[in-house]
Amino acid sequence: MNPSLKFLLAVLIALEISFTNTWMVNVGLALIGLIIILSSRPNLKRLALLFFVPLIPAFALAFAILLQSNAGIHFALVLFTRIYAYVFVGSAATLTTSVSDLVMSLEQNAHIPSKFAYGFLGAFNLLPKIVSEVNIIRAAGNMRGQALHIWSPQLYFKAILASLDWSENLAEAMTSHGFSEGAPRTYFKQIRIRWWDWLIMLGSLGLLQVALFGLHLQ
Amino acid sequence: MATILVNHLSFSYPTEDGKKPLTLVDLSANFPSGDFSLLTGPSGSGKSTLMKIISGLYPKFGGIVTAGEVRLNDTKIQDIPERDRGQLVAMMFQNPNQQFAMDTVERELIFALENQCVPPAEMMARVDRALEYVEISQLRHRQLNSLSGGEKQKVALAVIIAMQADTILLDEPFASVDPVARQLLLSKLSRLQREEHKTILISDHDLEDYDQYIDHLFVLNRTGDSLVLLDQEAANQKMASFNRQDTSKQHLNLPLATDQSTIQGNQLSLTAGTSTLLKQPDISFFKHYITLLTGANGTGKSTLLMAIAKLHQYDGSLLLQQKEIAKIRNKQLFSQVALVFQDADQQFLNVTVAEELALSLKNSQAQNYFKDRLADFLKQLHLDQLQDHVVYTLSGGQKKKLQILEMLMMATPVLLFDEPFTGLDFNSLQTIMAIMKQVAHDCHQTMIIVSHQLFGLDALIDYHVTLENKQLQYVEGLA
Repeated sequence: MNPSLKFLLAVLIALEISFTNTWMVNVGLALIGLIIILSSRPNLKRLALLFFVPLIPAFALAFAILLQSNAGIHFALVLFTRIYAYVFVGSAATLTTSVSDLVMSLEQNAHIPSKFAYGFLGAFNLLPKIVSEVNIIRAAGNMRGQALHIWSPQLYFKAILASLDWSENLAEAMTSHGFSEGAPRTYFKQIRIRWWDWLIMLGSLGLLQVALFGLHLQ
Repeated sequence: MATILVNHLSFSYPTEDGKKPLTLVDLSANFPSGDFSLLTGPSGSGKSTLMKIISGLYPKFGGIVTAGEVRLNDTKIQDIPERDRGQLVAMMFQNPNQQFAMDTVERELIFALENQCVPPAEMMARVDRALEYVEISQLRHRQLNSLSGGEKQKVALAVIIAMQADTILLDEPFASVDPVARQLLLSKLSRLQREEHKTILISDHDLEDYDQYIDHLFVLNRTGDSLVLLDQEAANQKMASFNRQDTSKQHLNLPLATDQSTIQGNQLSLTAGTSTLLKQPDISFFKHYITLLTGANGTGKSTLLMAIAKLHQYDGSLLLQQKEIAKIRNKQLFSQVALVFQDADQQFLNVTVAEELALSLKNSQAQNYFKDRLADFLKQLHLDQLQDHVVYTLSGGQKKKLQILEMLMMATPVLLFDEPFTGLDFNSLQTIMAIMKQVAHDCHQTMIIVSHQLFGLDALIDYHVTLENKQLQYVEGLA
């Protein structure tokens, strides 16, 4: 499915279930999300994380409702399942799309300015570097007899400085490789929206309305 | 083909208090079309600044032109639309880590071609050709982050070739490139100049190997107020003083059986991504000696230093004073071992030069020693006038000198250096090596130095280890 439409669909679904109170639909969405996730063959560790990490906020929310309000067990169940629906639907979208495909689609289909698209991609490519940079900053501190803890302002000062530096380097690198804001570009990999992309999106939303409405009428 | 004309150019990086100290003062020069020109000058003279102005990156990304102009083919560089500039002028940066926007080699090349509106059908042919030209087709699908400094510079050149830029600017491009890769890159550039009539301008403080390639030698002086074209005789004379010192005959000793080891590896193996860099049954680095570590680009020299500093995982055993490095707590480890990073910016913790020096002095293990000598060291390194400068605004060479000095001041028993001599001009190099030798002797330090630059090193080092075919080995020669 086209990456831009896929993400739009995930956001619309999340929005809609935020305003409805049908736990069965949440479970259904989570299940569909899970099937899509499984079809992308994730490793076991990631799958386990997907199940256990949402457990904490889901339980916390459900218990808070049960103990502190009189909204009842039904609402607690709705909130619990809603968290899983969010996480699984969201992961179904992210795990089946590569970042570069998403960025290309956002640029070509959603027509966001290419400056943002490539800025986002550049920032994403920097993520692993940030982790190792923080380790290096802390080591650099220790080597000079200055322990930098997770709460040390100096650690953040250095990290922010490093990222400012990177952002400038990135901008210079892009410029020197011919990138110019707002200028026309060609695309090596063309990403199109086909009729079935619209069909999947509108069909899914339609089915969701039927499910929500149908259960509501009962 | 394009002529670069610098016309009474003055340039300034304004300071916070509104002053406009001039980095370049009233410079004029004509870099002829289709020729190979070399721009040299001491560290901090403004070579990088001039290159960035010619490429059109400055003043867009910093500083202001206070007078004069740069013209490319008689058009002011600022008047050429950015989108057309890529075809006229392309630049390779000093720091190999700061010139890519994408994640893989192929995507970076495609990105550049897309920016130039090359029809998609032509792209693959251009990418193939550029990669073949620089002989790096095998790197095509590699992650840029996983490449070594030399490999990144080759990719940068491939991008420039794919973009078919008329004028190629290279700002100290060989700082982290080994001699073999440097020769390869130089011969490729020379071929581009001869066969495709590209205009090439390289800035470098190190003139080794250039004599057979260049047509013109330009010299920028220390204060950035004079840029002159040397005549043939003066150029030859200047080049001759740089001719590669014949290091092949220099003899070094092998470690003695009585030497005490301070760092010891057993069944040590290092990997980067999926490739194995080192598989070593046993190796020792010896106490109170200065050991040089060399090897081609990407063989894992930096990775070994990172492993000793617990910044890279290793398999097998790596001992510091008989203790497993992975198990030593950070605070304790770093009071024993310190690493002088390849990238000087990573070393700095404070804002100004004075603050940096004060921190090192405060926590130094040889405080009194340095209290007495600091002023003299600063003077020797031409850093004494820069005390209130922000460290990040120093030139590449000045940063390197400050970085080495402040790490020497810590007087850590083991000090590791990762390419400490990049960006240093001849005099700075001599001075910093003399200071290193003196401090190592007086403070009883053990040093391991990774360096491509071998000039004058015989006076500094005791032992030489090479890394080749995933094996470390002590050797008797320097080259």
